Amino acid sequence: MRVSLNVNGDTVQTYVEPRDTLLSVLREQLHLTGTKWGCLTGDCGACTVILDGRSVVSCLQTVGQLDGASVTTVEGIAGRGQVMNDLQEAFVAHGAAQCGFCTPGMVVAAEQLLRDGVEPSEAAIREGLAGNLCRCTGYSKIIDAVLSVARSRDPR
Amino acid sequence: MSAYQRPASVAEAVAILRDTPGAIVLAGGTDLVIDRRLGRVDPDAPLVDVSAIDELAGVRWDGDVLHVGAATAISDIERDPGIISRAPALSEAARVLGSVQIRNMATLGGNLCNASPAADMTPPLLAHDAVVVVYGPDGVREQAVISLFTGPRGTSLAAGELVVGTRLRIPARSGSCYVRQTVRWAMDLAGVGAAAWVLAGGAGSDAPIEAARVALGAVAPTAVLVPGVDHLLVGHPLSAERLAAVREAASAACAPISDVRGTAEYRRHVAGVLAARALSIAHARATGVWPGGPAPVNGRISSAGVGQHRAHRGQRDTTDASARPGTLA
Ligand SMILES: Cc1cc2nc3c(=O)[nH]c(=O)nc-3n(C[C@@H](O)[C@@H](O)[C@H](O)COP(=O)(O)OP(=O)(O)OC[C@H]3O[C@@H](n4cnc5c(N)ncnc54)[C@H](O)[C@@H]3O)c2cc1C
Ligand code: FES
Ligand code: FES
Repeated sequence: MRVSLNVNGDTVQTYVEPRDTLLSVLREQLHLTGTKWGCLTGDCGACTVILDGRSVVSCLQTVGQLDGASVTTVEGIAGRGQVMNDLQEAFVAHGAAQCGFCTPGMVVAAEQLLRDGVEPSEAAIREGLAGNLCRCTGYSKIIDAVLSVARSRDPR
Repeated sequence: MSAYQRPASVAEAVAILRDTPGAIVLAGGTDLVIDRRLGRVDPDAPLVDVSAIDELAGVRWDGDVLHVGAATAISDIERDPGIISRAPALSEAARVLGSVQIRNMATLGGNLCNASPAADMTPPLLAHDAVVVVYGPDGVREQAVISLFTGPRGTSLAAGELVVGTRLRIPARSGSCYVRQTVRWAMDLAGVGAAAWVLAGGAGSDAPIEAARVALGAVAPTAVLVPGVDHLLVGHPLSAERLAAVREAASAACAPISDVRGTAEYRRHVAGVLAARALSIAHARATGVWPGGPAPVNGRISSAGVGQHRAHRGQRDTTDASARPGTLA
């Protein structure tokens, strides 16, 4: 089946097996490999993308459901012409990545939390990122990075 | 017939299901995509995607009757202001289900039809005496949610039938609550889930109870309604003795397994504790004495309303919880 998707601001028309996952289409057809292939059971969050303004795990998202949808992957988090956005800069500044495998999913999930106006507190951010596992950092630096951006974007 | 269809109406979906033997309904896919990949269901079976059917999604009130469409996302139930204030057991169950990502994808109908004994949305619906509305080749029919389940992952739905939604009546002076015990703070299935619903005869903590139900998840092959709760409570205020009797009844209603989330004995004990806790919070809500905000999340809880903030690590602070109504152990 032919689907038309907006991916990171560009309209993409592609033929898919409708029962395939968005994750496999992103990685294997569109060669957007920032979105990681992790557990494939919805547990780890490494495959998180933003779908029409909500974060989802692309490993469980059936692509046939997405004709006309808008998808933002980690490759589209920074604005055009930008290398990184403020959140990605904060991940670097706080040393919030070690092996880096969880980082794209963390960044995408955190970006959507911030867009939803997450309360700038450790508690709210930990709850919001509960679906993203990191086996390296112990989370503290990730939470610090997101918290710093929550505070700087929300001048309350 | 094509391997994937995306009908735009219930009538169209039911016609496709009738004409496509072996077709499987796809909603959010959070169970089905995994089941297909692991071969628990036939990966070649045609899918009928119900996510484009507008009439299947959303929350609607009709006076004191609440309709929740089968394709409503769990996150929409979690955030719905009417559900939060009038049917809080449902929003409390939605709030602890999976992660943000899973809640955005998973639907109420999928959670019911997947028929896991640990499904979080089921006990609240049982406690609220909800009805499930089913469309099939022979038209529409309704049944109590409790009669939907025949065993772990088994339902009484006939081939080609589609769940279109659930319906709950929410009278004035009623209150509900859902609490669960998990090993981890988030991203874990319930070791035990307990929901309670109370209709009070008046305001204040001494008001007598007019009707009550307690339901449990993850302690038997299907979710269960605790028998005899009405008999124990109706006509009386909620005393410590009656709460203890309900605790015993809840433990007795369990037929649990031992697994990684707890032994049978532990589950039986926790079911009693959580049943009493859910009941006292539901009662406090029905009688207007609950201070507001959601019930504490998880077993022996930290401060109410804070939620899963220690999803990843941390000590549990129980001081706040021990001071709350319903904390017995
Ligand atoms: C990482 C992770 C964590 C989770 N955590 C929890 C948790 O804490 N608590 C919990 O309860 N669940 C949990 N779940 C399971 C939960 O996401 C599912 O049960 C979900 O609610 C199913 O809804 P869906 O829309 O994704 O259904 P699908 O996967 O699309 O479908 C599930 C089943 O229901 C059938 N179906 C769906 N809709 C209908 C309909 N309208 N009529 C007839 N049949 C239908 C399908 O054919 C299929 O058999 C978790 C899942 C994952 C992946
Ligand atoms: S790969 Fe999708 S959640 Fe782990
Ligand atoms: S940095 Fe290695 S998993 Fe998070």
